[in-house]
Order: sequence, then structure tokens, then C-alpha cells
Amino acid sequence: MEPTVAAFDRHALRATRSRRDGWRDTWRGYRTAARLGWRVEANWADPILFLTYSVAKPLAGALILVVMLEVVSGGGADEYRAFIVVGSALWSFVIAGLSGLAMSVLDDRERYRMLKYLYISPTSLAVLLLGRGTARFAMGGIGAAVTLAVGVLFLGVPFDPAVMDVPLLLASMALGLSGVIALGVVFAAVVLQTRQDSWSYPEAVAGALFLLVGAVFPLAVLPMPVQALGLVTPLTWWVAAVREALFPDAVSSIAGPGSLYTRLTGVTEPDRWVLLICLLATTVLVTLGAMLTFRVSERRAKDRGLIDQTTGT
Amino acid sequence: MTIFARPRTASPMEAARWSPRRQLATNLRSVFGRAYPRLIGLAREPSWTFFEVLLPFLTTSAFVFVYRALDAPAEYIGFVVLGGAMTAFWINVVWMMGAQLWWEKDAGNLELYFTTPIDLMSVLLGMALGGLVASCLRAGVVLLVGTVVYGVSFGVDQWVLLLAVFVLTLTALYGFGMVLASLFLLWGREAFHLAQLLQEPVYFLSGLNFPVARLGMLGALAISTLPLAVGLDAMRQLAFPGGVATYGTPSPEIEAALLVAMTCFFLLAARFMLRTIERMARHEGRLTTRGD
Repeated sequence: MEPTVAAFDRHALRATRSRRDGWRDTWRGYRTAARLGWRVEANWADPILFLTYSVAKPLAGALILVVMLEVVSGGGADEYRAFIVVGSALWSFVIAGLSGLAMSVLDDRERYRMLKYLYISPTSLAVLLLGRGTARFAMGGIGAAVTLAVGVLFLGVPFDPAVMDVPLLLASMALGLSGVIALGVVFAAVVLQTRQDSWSYPEAVAGALFLLVGAVFPLAVLPMPVQALGLVTPLTWWVAAVREALFPDAVSSIAGPGSLYTRLTGVTEPDRWVLLICLLATTVLVTLGAMLTFRVSERRAKDRGLIDQTTGT
Repeated sequence: MTIFARPRTASPMEAARWSPRRQLATNLRSVFGRAYPRLIGLAREPSWTFFEVLLPFLTTSAFVFVYRALDAPAEYIGFVVLGGAMTAFWINVVWMMGAQLWWEKDAGNLELYFTTPIDLMSVLLGMALGGLVASCLRAGVVLLVGTVVYGVSFGVDQWVLLLAVFVLTLTALYGFGMVLASLFLLWGREAFHLAQLLQEPVYFLSGLNFPVARLGMLGALAISTLPLAVGLDAMRQLAFPGGVATYGTPSPEIEAALLVAMTCFFLLAARFMLRTIERMARHEGRLTTRGD
């Protein structure tokens, strides 16, 4: 009997997929993707070059800001130095989180041309992309840790472990990193729709977010509508909470004279609970939005044949 | 001996036995041919205007606000805007030229370049010109919008010198990009990491957002080796004359001479290196292999 299109039962395929897509299979798929991601990123590079590359980029970013500070303040403004170093150290997570998933889509679709095979594998595409992005995320973590260490050891950042708020640090890191991953998923959804030359897009978006979230300057210097945008971004609350946990005396990036937050609440510095609640609320919002965006993008990519399309220019 | 037997030649161009005029015409066509997909690609996917023109302006704005938060003199904001505009060219050089031969190898096009009777420099020049359109647009937007929004005032007295320095900076940068293209091809998979390594660290060493003289010996080293550092410093001196922040570096005339020397050096080095990798590709047959 000649096979027909009708012989291909899409519902049966979906049922098979869901039966096999239990937690164990999902975990196995994630683990394999993460191991592959790490090998793609690290195993094929010279170890010294790889380490230099992982560290030099965020460190140079922090040094640019520290020199800018020195040029203007002439070595005064110690509290602002801690502000800048924490913000730029955390930013390497943001760049890694945004680019990790997006680059996995671009790499697997355009370079290795494997995305179509990954897509039809039993594990969900989002899980595989998360796994591939984990390696970059880990590299972002190394960059952040080294930047903070260099800041404390060589750039005169006044760090006192005795005043560190460990529970706040752990909670804000857990929530903040979830928010970064959610933004990464949104961005993976975007590059599923765009062309090969989108390699530079994740960094462009991270650069733009740099303006909105008070990473290296207090939000109060921005116009009010831009401050409002910043306040609905989880990254704003994450950076502020980590800063509060590590340097309780540092300048607040959210509140203060001229800030929208102070105008709305009358408070000059949000306490740790406000920081955590706002971080939780914005992270939940962004995560739900990310899931929806990815689902819509995946469906559109499937309908338009974008998953196996290479778009070399 | 059959009609298919041909004497050994050094290159496909020599094998073609074309007149100099035809060689030139073919090379010019190659320049246009390689620039074409980049130009046409811009029209086919308009999303780049948002991601590569508008968003970089916001990144530059972040540094402007750092200076504003520190109550820095207005001159520094002009520095950031000028630096933000020049990053467009640097990114183009690193990603769209330096890493491009490596991408071409990945896509399977490189062996075609090595077997056609054209000079590889024409291909790279085509890439440069094709990419320059997007870079100029991005730089122009950052400069224009930054100037208007942040109220930067330039005090240029020597327009001709400023224009000459700008053009010399671009030629030195693209010469450097051609050298990088050969190196990245030799270094294989590590090209991606190297391209990343040439961003923020080079921005720092070039004094993208602050006067490079503040880096002391490191700044002097950058001025003598990096076209971006010397070009940016010369343009700042010409755009903001008399500013204290430009104190401590050579005069714009000397920096222009440095750029001429860099242009000659990088173009000659690129020519030598491209010939070398072309020879290696034909003799060893490994450079064009995908997945090396």
C-alpha cells in the first residue's frame, strides 16, 4: 500500500512525545545538551585562551567604568566604585544568559544545521536550548566572580564579609538568575524568527538593558518614563538586591532624590523585603511572558519552515 | 601531452593568463559581488535597524548617564558619543571582516575563493564596503542623535584634518581587519573567542569612553599599536580642542602620521598573510576543510 500523508498521525506523535517526556527524560535531555554546550564552548579552545576570554571581557567592562569614575572623581567616590563593580560583574550573567540560548538557536540552525533534528527529538526544544545555554551561563558566572574578586583585591572596593546578608544574596541570586534565563528564552524566541546575522543581537539587547536597570548608575538620573520601564524589569530589582546584600551602605540604584520610586512611595531606600517581593513579582511576570512568547515563536517557526532554514548572507 | 596538461602556476590568476585590464575588471566585479549580499541583506531583514542601529545608541547612552551621575564636565559626554560612534566600525572590522573567512570556511565558500582567479583582497574589500554601509548608518545615528539628545557641542577648527584622520582610521582599521581575517582562519574554532576578546578589552585599551592618556604606559602602547586608539584620540583632540582631557597624547598631526604608517603596515601585512594562507590552502589542502 502506498503511504499517504494521512498515514502520518500527528496526534499519535504528540502522544508518544508526551509519554516519553517525563522528568527523567527531560533531565537526561537537559544534561546531554549542557554537556554538549560546554564541549562546544570550552573543549575545542585552548584552555588558557578560553579562561582569558571568559574573564577578560567582563573585567575589561568593569575597568572601563572604574577608569571613568577615576577620571571624574580623582579617586574619591569609594561607595560608587562598589556600585559599579557589582553592577558590571552581574552583567556578565545577563550577557551570558541572553546570548546563551539565542546563540544555541543560531549555531544549531545556521552552522551545524542540527536544529531540525533536535526539534524532532523527544525532548522539548526549550529544554535542549536551556541545556546548551547553561555552558555560557557558567562562563558568565566565572566572569562575574573574577570581576568581583579583582574589584575587592585590586580596585579598592570596600568589602566586609561580616556585614554581608547571605540569605538575601542567595534568594536574590536564585530569583534574579531565573529572570535572566526567562529573558534568554524570550530572546531565543526572537532569533528563531530572524536571520543568520542576528549573532550580534543578544549583546545589543543586553547593552540596551544596561541603560534601564541601574546596573552602573542610579535610575534617578534617567527620565521618569524610562525609570518606570526599569522598575518593571526583574534585572533592576536583582542588581539592587545583590548590591544591598553585599554592600548594605552602597548607594541605592532604585530610590533616592529625583527617583520615580521615591516619588511614588516616599521612601528613600527600599528594604530587603520590598526588593525581594518586587524581584519575585517581576520574575514571575517575565517567566510567564517568556513561556508564552517561546510557544508562539515555536509554532510560527514550524508553520513557516524556519527551523530548518539557513539564511546565510 | 594533451590539451588538458597545463604548466604549473603560482595562482589561479596566473593560470587564467588574463590581461592586466581584465584582471582589474574581474577584481572590481569581485568587490561588488562580495559587497552585494551584505547590501541586499540589509533590505531583506529590516530587524537589523532596530537591533544594530537603535539599541547600540542606548548602550552609548548608558555611559553618558554614568558621567551624568558623576556630574562630569560636558566634554566627557562628547567623548562617549564619539567613542560610541566609532565602535560601529570596530565591531564591523572584527566580526564582519576578521571572522568572515572563518565563517566562509564553515559555509563551504572558502575553497571557491581560493580556486577563482581573483585576489583574496578584493573579496575582503567587498566585505568591508558592504559592511561599511551598515556601520556608517549606525555610527551616524549614534553621533547625530547623541549630539542632539545630549547637547554635545563640537568645536572643530580643522575640518580637513578631521576628515583625513577619520578616513585614515578606517583604512588602518580595515587593513587590520584583513590581517585578522588571515589569523582567525589559521586559528580555526578559536576565532569566535578571539573576536570576543577583541571587544571590551580593546575598548578599554583604546580609551573608548575616557581619555586614553589616563592609562599611562598602557595608553601609550595602545596609541602605538591600535588604530582605534590613535584615531579616536586624534578625532577627540580635533573635535574638542583645548580640552584638559586630551592632554598627554601626541598632536593630531603626529597621530595622523601614525595612522598613515599603520595603514601601510597593515595592508602590506595583510597582503603577505593572505598570499601565505592561499599558498597553504593549495599546497596542504587543509585550510578549506570544514570542521577543521
